[in-house]
Amino acid sequence: MAITEKISKTTTPTFWEGEIPVNYVYTYGLAGETFFRAIKDKGIFLGTRCDDCDVTFVPPKIYCDRCFEKLDTYIDVGTIGYVETFTVTFKNMDGSDKAKPRILAMIKIEGTDGGIIHYLEGIGIEEVSLGLPVQAIFKPKAQRKGGIEDIIGFGPLKR
Amino acid sequence: MVDLDKCELGGTHLKSSDFEKCKVLTTEWTPNLGYAWDNGVAIGRYLAELKEGKIIARICHKCRRILLPPRMFCELCFRPTDEWTYVEDTGVVNTFSIAYVNWDASRRGPKEPPLIPAVIEIDGATKSMGIMHMLGEVAPADVKIGMKVRAVWKKPEDRTGAITDILYFKPLRAASPKKRAAGKKR
Repeated sequence: MAITEKISKTTTPTFWEGEIPVNYVYTYGLAGETFFRAIKDKGIFLGTRCDDCDVTFVPPKIYCDRCFEKLDTYIDVGTIGYVETFTVTFKNMDGSDKAKPRILAMIKIEGTDGGIIHYLEGIGIEEVSLGLPVQAIFKPKAQRKGGIEDIIGFGPLKR
Repeated sequence: MVDLDKCELGGTHLKSSDFEKCKVLTTEWTPNLGYAWDNGVAIGRYLAELKEGKIIARICHKCRRILLPPRMFCELCFRPTDEWTYVEDTGVVNTFSIAYVNWDASRRGPKEPPLIPAVIEIDGATKSMGIMHMLGEVAPADVKIGMKVRAVWKKPEDRTGAITDILYFKPLRAASPKKRAAGKKR
């Protein structure tokens, strides 16, 4: 019985290149729609609160994931938060090097139990620390389209 | 937008017009889904031979089948296959379909003829072994299962080592009576 042919030169293997054309349109859902419309129109963050469980959801949810109660009262939770955790990215999505590293952080919104993952802007890598107070920076209203990119990032807190 | 509580199954019912009129916020994205698929030994050689205008298959000595497209392992005998063999570029229509839509489900225009994808059992390979390709130079109404067909190749300089080096399969017209008679004498 013949042994299966083996490839011994690295130049021999061939490959087939292709692309799978897929694109999508994502809708944010009831709570997401309200959340992003508030960012677009007013430049504020909204959350929903379950008084029974003493939990405030940011981004908002339409039901409490602890007691399943329907939540339909939206509250302005402000745009100030704290760095909960962060990472520094040196690569783009396609694996190429970034011209300048960027800091991605989970920002816990003050007085809530939720947070938003976004870039830190105007803060050097040496200056970042857990618990650092930050504030959301929005694009000018005319440029806002109703999406996460309406937020430029979170910058140092100016009280 | 529809009130959630009034819907039997809940959910938000959106129409195309809701998107066109920007009644709902959306995020659009096109992920980069480029890939490179390792051809392996069998398909690598198969594609290289297509570039030369030939179709190659693999033989399994145990079950005596001629496998097309070629594979290095016999799925019935559970052992490596044994040798390469060239097969013809003619065959028989095993099954076919008439498609009035393109690959992305868009309708073909009024002047575009329907596509006729078919499975062709290639002559020289074990019966029922074949490849999926397109039929051409034939009206949809004239296609029959069992019809003999022949590959129409791209020009040698245009071939890239792909299954599309064969443009399509066209009906193999019956030889003229004169030729048939000449063949019998031999």
